[in-house]
Amino acid sequence: MEVLAKIAFGVYTLVILGGAVLAVSSSSLVRALIGLITTLVGVAGMYLLLATPFMAFMQLLIYVGAVSVLIFFAVMLTRAEQGGDEADKAPMKRYIFGLAATMTPAALLGWMIMTRPAASVAVPVEVPIKQLGEGLLGSYFLPFELISVILMVAMSGAVLLVWEKRGKK
Amino acid sequence: MSALTLFQLVALILLCAGLFGLTQRRSLVGMLISVELMLNGAGLSMVAAAQLTDFSAVMGQLGTLFVMGLAAAEATLVLAMIVVVARRFKSAKSSDITTLKE
Repeated sequence: MEVLAKIAFGVYTLVILGGAVLAVSSSSLVRALIGLITTLVGVAGMYLLLATPFMAFMQLLIYVGAVSVLIFFAVMLTRAEQGGDEADKAPMKRYIFGLAATMTPAALLGWMIMTRPAASVAVPVEVPIKQLGEGLLGSYFLPFELISVILMVAMSGAVLLVWEKRGKK
Repeated sequence: MSALTLFQLVALILLCAGLFGLTQRRSLVGMLISVELMLNGAGLSMVAAAQLTDFSAVMGQLGTLFVMGLAAAEATLVLAMIVVVARRFKSAKSSDITTLKE
């Protein structure tokens, strides 16, 4: 990697780390959401670093634009409590068990990544967007159509779930 | 350390942060936020692996795009469920809705 790319990688890693810590540890859900958005923007930067500007754009559009707004609606619609939903401390046992459940895959996967590195090229491959479009409408046509069906079912299911009849109550 | 290893380590950190949040959070919305963190780690790992090895780059990018679409669908459905649960139980905490234990 070039020096500038290394600096950018470091900055994006710091942004991702800070956002993840805020998203996981903050007692207020709105602050946790801000942390999540920070992480999402950092991951978009990582996509730019990997020479995939289309993925970075989609990350901002789908995650930051749509999913974060959805989660914000979830926060608003559930009457979050005054002092933060996570204000009361968890018992120590739960904390230790959670840490163990996290460290096990971290140690295993980290060990595998470090000791068995895949053959990696130094400069990422550049794929023109035209080729992506041809992939979507050619070899991967079925998943492309299925994902639209899934989105349609999810949207109508969500509307159906929260529908309130006017005469009820 | 190769570039791919560095990207994979960042993705692993995201996965573990999400996993830890999933075990610690006491509200359903917080758990949803943690799941989004984990999905982002998966996407980053997939794109890095496709871009930095000989594997088909188009397939890696489109796979991540599908992960994003599924994440959007999942977030929609979970939002609807949280709203229904919050209406019925008057709370969105996971400890308040475990009625099977009683």
